[in-house]
Amino acid sequence: MGFLPANSPVQDNIEWFHNDILMPVIVFISLLVLALLAYVVYRFHEKANPVPSRISHNGPLEIIWTIAPALVLVVIAFPSFRLLAEQLIIPEPDLTLKVTASQWHWNYGYPKAAGGFSFDSLIKDDKDLKPGDIRLLSVDNAAYVPVGKVVEVDVVSQDVIHSFSLPSFGVKIDAVPGRLNKTWFKAEKEGVFYGQCSNICGVGHAFMPIEVHVVSEPAYQAWLAGAKKQFARADGVDLAQADSVKP
Amino acid sequence: MASVSEFTHAEAHAHDGHEDHGDHGHPTGWRRYLLSTNHKDIGTLYLIFAIIGGLVGMVLSILIRAELMTPGIQVFPVLSGILDGDGSVDAAKNLYNMFFTSHAVIMIFFMVMPAMMGGFGNWFVPIMIGAPDMAFPRMNNLSFWLLPASFMLAIISMFVEGAAGMKGFAGGWVLYPPFASTVGTPGPAADFVILSMHIAGASSILGAINFIATILNMRAPGMTMFRMPLFVWSVLVTAFLLLLSLPVLAGALTMLLTDRNFHTTFFDPAGGGDPILYQHIFWFFGHPEVYILIIPGFGIVSQIVSTFARKPIFGYAGMVYAMLAIALLGFVVWAHHMFTTGMSLNAQRYYVLATMVIAVPTGVKIFSWIATMWGGSISLRAPMLWAIGFIFVFTVGGVTGVVLANAAVDRYLHDTYYVVAHFHYTMSLGAVFSIFAGFYYWFPKMSGYLYNEAKAKIHFWLTFVGINLVFFPQHFLGFAGMPRRIVDYTNAYSLWNFVSSIGAFIAGIGTLLFLYILYDAFKLKRQAPANPWGPGATTLEWTLSSPPPFHQFLTPPPIPEEDEHDAPAAAAVGHA
Amino acid sequence: MTTSLERLSPVHRKSALRNKLMGAGGAAVVVGMIALTYAAAPFFIAFCRATGYAGTPQRVEAATTDAEGGRILRVAFDANVAPGLPWKFEAETDAVHVRPGKTVTVFFRAENLADREITAHPTFNVTPAVSGAWFDKIQCFCFTNETLKPHEKVEWPVVFFLNPELEKDESMAHVDAITLSYTLFAAPPTRASASEATRDGPAG
Repeated sequence: MGFLPANSPVQDNIEWFHNDILMPVIVFISLLVLALLAYVVYRFHEKANPVPSRISHNGPLEIIWTIAPALVLVVIAFPSFRLLAEQLIIPEPDLTLKVTASQWHWNYGYPKAAGGFSFDSLIKDDKDLKPGDIRLLSVDNAAYVPVGKVVEVDVVSQDVIHSFSLPSFGVKIDAVPGRLNKTWFKAEKEGVFYGQCSNICGVGHAFMPIEVHVVSEPAYQAWLAGAKKQFARADGVDLAQADSVKP
Repeated sequence: MASVSEFTHAEAHAHDGHEDHGDHGHPTGWRRYLLSTNHKDIGTLYLIFAIIGGLVGMVLSILIRAELMTPGIQVFPVLSGILDGDGSVDAAKNLYNMFFTSHAVIMIFFMVMPAMMGGFGNWFVPIMIGAPDMAFPRMNNLSFWLLPASFMLAIISMFVEGAAGMKGFAGGWVLYPPFASTVGTPGPAADFVILSMHIAGASSILGAINFIATILNMRAPGMTMFRMPLFVWSVLVTAFLLLLSLPVLAGALTMLLTDRNFHTTFFDPAGGGDPILYQHIFWFFGHPEVYILIIPGFGIVSQIVSTFARKPIFGYAGMVYAMLAIALLGFVVWAHHMFTTGMSLNAQRYYVLATMVIAVPTGVKIFSWIATMWGGSISLRAPMLWAIGFIFVFTVGGVTGVVLANAAVDRYLHDTYYVVAHFHYTMSLGAVFSIFAGFYYWFPKMSGYLYNEAKAKIHFWLTFVGINLVFFPQHFLGFAGMPRRIVDYTNAYSLWNFVSSIGAFIAGIGTLLFLYILYDAFKLKRQAPANPWGPGATTLEWTLSSPPPFHQFLTPPPIPEEDEHDAPAAAAVGHA
Repeated sequence: MTTSLERLSPVHRKSALRNKLMGAGGAAVVVGMIALTYAAAPFFIAFCRATGYAGTPQRVEAATTDAEGGRILRVAFDANVAPGLPWKFEAETDAVHVRPGKTVTVFFRAENLADREITAHPTFNVTPAVSGAWFDKIQCFCFTNETLKPHEKVEWPVVFFLNPELEKDESMAHVDAITLSYTLFAAPPTRASASEATRDGPAG
């Protein structure tokens, strides 16, 4: 149906719920209305039916077309709620990723147990793209997660509202300043997956992509070892902003 | 019967446009419009304003689609070079963001609302209930003239500083802080947009009070509430929505204004505030607003379907209750716009259920229109084409709304082009189709001239094909993950963006044709009879001349006893 | 006073009064809705404080119960510093495992890296949101704005417990982990001196 390739049980279920439950219902309703309209225009065109009827009521019909859609909605609600619970009840995580949004890039922080480092992830300019990179989606430093593990994502913002999105994992959660939002995913297959900021945040809104590499456990450990060194945290805070006083 | 038509003919002759016999010698020239207290003249002003607003809004959207036609940023650096003297890529990106922001504000506040409520509402509500004018004619004038003022402020905002070093407000029509606060937009552009929306809101609030008083108080004797035309019901329901929701917008905007300028911290976490609170308050207004934008359209479609099927509306009472249900429910579903803000599971469950429930009364209306046509004697004149088109496209927009109502799926689709497709199907196809339907339906009455039917049909088909081509592929873009409000996209999204842009140009040509149809009608001046539409047109405006006299129903028209199966006032129109 | 409508149509003189009443009523509705909107701001904060909605932890004077729960939950800590505040701020521990009913103390370290005295305003929330009602804080630096002298370093305790009643809450049935998050902001200029200002509500 055009969804991006699913890589998590949540996204699998989103696609199933939409393609196998919602789509048949909405396609049926749309085609039913279209067919009825086409039929009435044909059958009751003034040339075919010069004398209109005066019927303007039909109690049973009105009841049916009130109750039937309501029943359909009730039926939809069951899988809908199940999927909702699956998205919002977070299982025990194997890894907690701290994601910080700012204008206009993402910052990924790994837990102390994994090295306690963090790094900025900036979009690659068109001129820096290498074969295999994707324009507007590839970044300089991607986030790495191990395959088949529950990854909990804590999301905050440094300035305005952004939104962290990984459609292949069925993940989207707003980054709001002064508030921690949390979501999760479990990536089922290895590969490279992308997302984009999903809340208008200024001129760079279209230019702060998310790139996640899902790798095997050994590859993840190897990356961690390298990342710990590469992103070793200088102790301290960026003093350049020390004197920027908020109005 | 005879006495009714004699009465109305006599009145019509006495108050013929050019002869100022008798009553009050109506004003002429610029005073007639600047100081108008005549609901028809004010309605005309609103319609002209809406056409201008619509054209400006459409130019913005065509430029947006021109940019999105291919990957890369080609169009906007040129535009920002011309408009802001800064052709840099950053200025171009900001200008693009400012364009979609303005496009929404203009289409909502300066096109749909003025056309439906100010235009058709003012013109036909008093006539349809047998009243000579609105309850507060002078306030009516104020309501209109507040709008050009509001529009001016919105235009000014585009030329003052917004984000640092940038012009105009570029954060979406919803004005979410912190982007809309000084954090994201230190310059005054946001303040101008806020003030513009305050004034537009005031205009609509005053209009709403006017409609409520008029409809509840000034119906001709015999016109009980349940004999009012459905268009009047739709305006009444919408007026209540406006009355209750616009003040909430005013509150949110004022809080944002004081946060920006007077060091309050309603939405600033640094002072104990909460950006999410803004979203709750805004959408408490915002969701009823979308019903404000469509319910009058429902009323227009009801009038037209009944007229051109030559049958009374099927299930009149059900239609009234459906509008009431939609309006009431519209107040308790606002947070379905906020599913990704970090809401709890239970809150999301509630909003999923409540939102889906709205589909039930909406379905009742769709089926009732079809049932009205069933057994009718259908004439496919231009207004009916638009109305039938509306029924289909609004169904499509409505069902994608049901999809989005399911928070679990909204998780994926929120802030993607699927949402853009959904609301444009309900607005740009739904509301706009109903506006064109009403325009063609009532144009002969308002102007006294006939439009060219063949060209009008071409206008319909061009627009139908064009706008469907714009927005249907956007569902696919949403599935493919394309976010909204982005100036440039990764190459994988090229195909459907290209198709969508082609559709925009086709629809643009359709609009040019519409302007030509208008020009043509005023040039050729083919006289329209009082009722060009035949026995199906049973509401009171068709008993008046085309155009109607400056003042009508100075004494209320008689509303005959209603036969169970007759539409109100049907008997008053003994002959066309 | 005769309105233009009454002059136009004497028949409608009767409705003139009713029109004016409706106009006044309409205006009253407008004013009322604006008032309710403004009231929404403190109401929202009070509502969140009272019910724990939106992940608002509760503030209590002392441990309210001796009972201990049967489950063990993991409580993780998250610390953030907003731009414009030149401080270092972190939790001493990533997470602790607690039994509801038991009072726990954890520490947060903060350091003012600048050469001037600075006041910070803390905001906080817990996730999942539903756990806010059961997260009881007895002592927290976050109850007030905090001022640090130049280069001052502190360790702040946070004393809390999880209300054992949470085990009866069906919404908490699947919640095994709670994250308590803080963000420190530079206090806005008008409130810079009000470091004693008491805050009961959260930012989220």
